[in-house]
Amino acid sequence: MIELKNVSKVYELGGEKIFALDHVNLQVEKGEFIAIMGPSGSGKSTLANVIGGLDVPDEGEVLADGVDIVKMSDSVLSNYRNKKIGFIFQSFNLQPTYTALENVMIPLLFAGVSLSERKKRALECLKSVGLEDRVSHRPGELSGGQRQRVCIARALANNPEMIIADEPTGNLDSKKGAEIIDLLKQLNKEAGITLIVITHDVSVAREAKKILNIKDGKIC
Amino acid sequence: MRFFDYIRLALKNLTRQKMRTTLTIIAITVGSLSLILMASLMISIRQSLMDQFRNLGAFNLVTVVKDPNSVDNNNLMGTGGSSSEGKMISDATLAAVKNIDHVVAATPILGISADTMKLAGQDKKTWASVVAFEPDTSVFEIPIVAGRNVTNADLDKIVVGSRFLDDFKYRGREKELIGQKVVFNLKNGGGGGSGVDWGTPPAQPPANADDSWYKAQSNKGIEIEAEIVGVADNGTVGDGQNYINIAWARRLNTQVVWEWDKEAQQKADQEKQAAQQALNNSGQKSNISNSSDQSNNVSYMRLVKHDNFADQGYTSVVLKVDDTSNIKSVAAEVTKLSYGAITAEAMLNQINQIMTMVGIVLAAIGGISLFVAAIGIINTMVMATFERIREIGVMRACGATRATIRRLFTFEAALLGFWGGIFGLIVSFLIIRIAKILVAKYATNTNIPIENIGGFPWWLVAGVIVFTTLIGLLSGMGPAIKAAKLNPVDALRYE
Repeated sequence: MIELKNVSKVYELGGEKIFALDHVNLQVEKGEFIAIMGPSGSGKSTLANVIGGLDVPDEGEVLADGVDIVKMSDSVLSNYRNKKIGFIFQSFNLQPTYTALENVMIPLLFAGVSLSERKKRALECLKSVGLEDRVSHRPGELSGGQRQRVCIARALANNPEMIIADEPTGNLDSKKGAEIIDLLKQLNKEAGITLIVITHDVSVAREAKKILNIKDGKIC
Repeated sequence: MRFFDYIRLALKNLTRQKMRTTLTIIAITVGSLSLILMASLMISIRQSLMDQFRNLGAFNLVTVVKDPNSVDNNNLMGTGGSSSEGKMISDATLAAVKNIDHVVAATPILGISADTMKLAGQDKKTWASVVAFEPDTSVFEIPIVAGRNVTNADLDKIVVGSRFLDDFKYRGREKELIGQKVVFNLKNGGGGGSGVDWGTPPAQPPANADDSWYKAQSNKGIEIEAEIVGVADNGTVGDGQNYINIAWARRLNTQVVWEWDKEAQQKADQEKQAAQQALNNSGQKSNISNSSDQSNNVSYMRLVKHDNFADQGYTSVVLKVDDTSNIKSVAAEVTKLSYGAITAEAMLNQINQIMTMVGIVLAAIGGISLFVAAIGIINTMVMATFERIREIGVMRACGATRATIRRLFTFEAALLGFWGGIFGLIVSFLIIRIAKILVAKYATNTNIPIENIGGFPWWLVAGVIVFTTLIGLLSGMGPAIKAAKLNPVDALRYE
């Protein structure tokens, strides 16, 4: 369970303070499927990054199973991201020179898993997203939908408790987008992985159990 | 992250930009190359000199020379300094220095003033450097490679040195020289009617001898023949000299000259005058001319020996000391007698000084090229981090710590240095091999033992690799720290 208490994140732009997060309080229960909606610049990505331990708030507490990640050292926080969180990005952020398999192996590398174990585990993850026949393809040789599946497989590599997907369907057509959402839903339902999806797409948000609307850094 | 994964990943990342990586490695290769060649050359020259000193037993020797001021630029046998300056070294001196504590043996040294030297029956001449010593004193360990050393009984026998070997191209077939004759030309004594106390005595000047006759005789010089009994590879330290024994040298240093026998002439004159008187008394007219008209009467010349040794003494005396640690005290005793003392240590110190100077200059050149190479690494790594900002963001999102990122980039830079060092070693090894072949082919009179040059002691190989790797590591540190400091959110957003 993740709990945000009075969390604020402030950016300064031309001498003016802008609240990306303005004293946000939020609880994310284990196994939840939450959609975060809001206009661009409303602070939804910042919220997701703070939950995922990628960004640290200026104020407030972020309690992951009772431990404040704000106070964690870099290595503890990195380990938290490595083991507990899987990130999925709109633009996939796959390594173009690596094969699908090698891309999925990246989080396992930082977990200190042996090479043979990494290969085995990455293969399992690619299988679970239906890409067992695209293992040695590079991102350039894959379609948009396939690339996002590789991205999901990478997020799954270390058996995370939570997947944070920032606009996962933003670069896909509606059919491929729906497939990706179905896949994520399936992971949420079957593996009990907490799912946080940032989206503009109302049809995507509708699939979630809970929708958070953000405006000017506040949950309304 | 595991250690081998760092290496694996660094290798993978470096091969992404093959051209850039190759160029960077070439820069380090060139940098390390100059350092390696320099170090290797210095080490091997030093090593070969040390070996030669050791082979001659030079670390236990003190050489007594006439002039204390000529110690610095002299050679081990003391034949390189001035022979006219300083205090004479007589047999009394020899006895005195023999009595110095810790001296176990001593041999006098006599340089022979020979001009040129050739193999009998050949025209090619070489500069002769003949040194005489007392072989039975076993002060020297002459590095004989063929035949034997000369003995005290060996008049007209010679051991030829490495300069002779090189000049006459007998290296590798030294044995063929044994039994051959060499002819050297003594400048000593020159001039008509004079010679040395060896072989046929000089011809008596004819009655009609004039200046041109004397000049012609003088130009001929005196040819002395010697049989080669041994070949010594005495290289730079031994100065490539040829050795004979001192007994023969003393005779070669003894001049034999036709001189006017004034006594005989006076006696003859008196006899003549008496005869004249008697004749005058008897009233007969004399047909005997006055002695002043007979100044060219060669019958009044006789052969006289001049022992040059009596006025010049020995060139030097070489003392063998019981232990290297006593060299200094023996040298001090010699100095007290107001002679000069040459030790191998002093010679080595001088060599070391020169070596250090040359080394500093070469190291500076190598250092500059390595510095440029280091800038190349920094440039490469700055470029690499810029290109991979987004990737760094992804790695951070996937759980890479700042330290992991820092290490990853540092490893890449260190690997560049490592490969630069390896290639530097390979290329310099090849260069030295080629140089050796070329030198062996074209340079015969180098007097530097080429076979020793270009040694790669293990510590040089290890040192170069460690050094270049360290340079890579240090050069990569800056960009790596910068990469590690990137905020992951900003990095992921970077376009």
